[in-house]
Amino acid sequence: MHCTGAFLLRSALIPSIPRTTTATTASLPAAFLLPAFTTTTPQPTARATFSTTPSAHARKDGNRNRGVSALRHTGIGKKQKLSVSLKDLPRPVLDPQRRSKVQVDDDHGLWDFLPTARTALRTPDELHAHGRGWTVPELRHKDWDDLHRLWWVCIKERNRLATQWYEHDRIGGMDGGAGMYGEHEGAARDKEVRKTMKGVRHCLTERWYAWENARVAGMEDGEVDLYAEVERGEAAYLPRGEESVEPVSLGSEDDARTDPSRTLPPPNSASAASEARV
Amino acid sequence: MASQLANMATHAPFKVGMKEVYLPNFKLIFKRTKHLPANYASFIVPLWFSKLDLRDYLYHAYNVRVGPVIRSYVEQGRIRQGQVPEPTRPQYKRWHRPRGTKHMTVELERPFAWPERPTDLTPWNKEETTMASEEQQAYGEKVGPQADQLGGRDDRRVAMREQAKALLEGKEKWKPGLSRGVGMAFGR
Repeated sequence: MHCTGAFLLRSALIPSIPRTTTATTASLPAAFLLPAFTTTTPQPTARATFSTTPSAHARKDGNRNRGVSALRHTGIGKKQKLSVSLKDLPRPVLDPQRRSKVQVDDDHGLWDFLPTARTALRTPDELHAHGRGWTVPELRHKDWDDLHRLWWVCIKERNRLATQWYEHDRIGGMDGGAGMYGEHEGAARDKEVRKTMKGVRHCLTERWYAWENARVAGMEDGEVDLYAEVERGEAAYLPRGEESVEPVSLGSEDDARTDPSRTLPPPNSASAASEARV
Repeated sequence: MASQLANMATHAPFKVGMKEVYLPNFKLIFKRTKHLPANYASFIVPLWFSKLDLRDYLYHAYNVRVGPVIRSYVEQGRIRQGQVPEPTRPQYKRWHRPRGTKHMTVELERPFAWPERPTDLTPWNKEETTMASEEQQAYGEKVGPQADQLGGRDDRRVAMREQAKALLEGKEKWKPGLSRGVGMAFGR
């Protein structure tokens, strides 16, 4: 039993027996204890606690996004205020029929991958409507710019055919050769395009070899100066004149045969008889 | 710089390289991607192609400008047997993995949507070819090693019911099989 002054005072205040006597009896506390009742001290608070856990409002957390995670599906936090309220969020149109159609520009570059009629797939008749490829004699007349343009026309047509082949397989299914019609016609068209490209390359190769042979001949020729700058007026062809026309005598056995002053070849019957072998 | 001069000549919105290619020889396939939005396009490109090559090719050959990011992936080939083109005697032990394909997805500056697929496939004769392939498959099962696993065929059952009905009603008279040629024909 603890012996604080308050306990003794309270026990002294509670009347244990009913009052039958006058105020002067022992039910009232003694007069010398009066100063204790008149004190105005406040309720004693726990200044020194036993627990070390900090209280709830120890530090203000300035992070409004604490605990909010899109990966963990926590949802919107209590302190989060978004610029758009949930009821104002736009909703996707799930029905494909109600969606607006995409406006594709007429001059879009990707139209070049699709048929000229701007359909998804060419019919076998459309694929079959082609001529033969260019032949090499026809291409020999064309200059570099025309051949280069033709090459790129062929490249784009091949891209178109490759796109057609892929889409055709997607629609018709690759039944191991038993798919829809159009594969054979596409292959025949591609073959003609490849023939044209082969012809272009052949022509350019021919021209390159002609140029290379001319260049080598010019380097080896003494009368031609390949390093001359014609724009500045320097002559590229410098003929040496009449002194170089005479045939040079090198003193070989062949001189007797090539000498222009002789008319008949010398008789060689004696040497032939001695060298005759059976 | 030579690269700057090339940029000025073609006015490309990106830095171009110094190598000029005049006669390339490869194919590009433009895929139809319904699952992607209209401002995305996907291509099958050569295996040695790079993202920079694709951006350059699309700009200079097709005048198509693409966004800053191009995504690419290589699809590995499935292991299969046989040879392409198939020789006269198919070699079933020639197991190999064909070359993979490279796909690239670009973001377009101007959207592009493929035209609708044709609903009527009569010009391509899809109906007949499908029927033919189904019949081929059925015949193959009939003569194949698993033929005894097949159950009773509906067409035979119906034909037998009709024959039995005709015999019972007296419309046809039963004749021995040999006179009809049963067992004489070589067939299954």
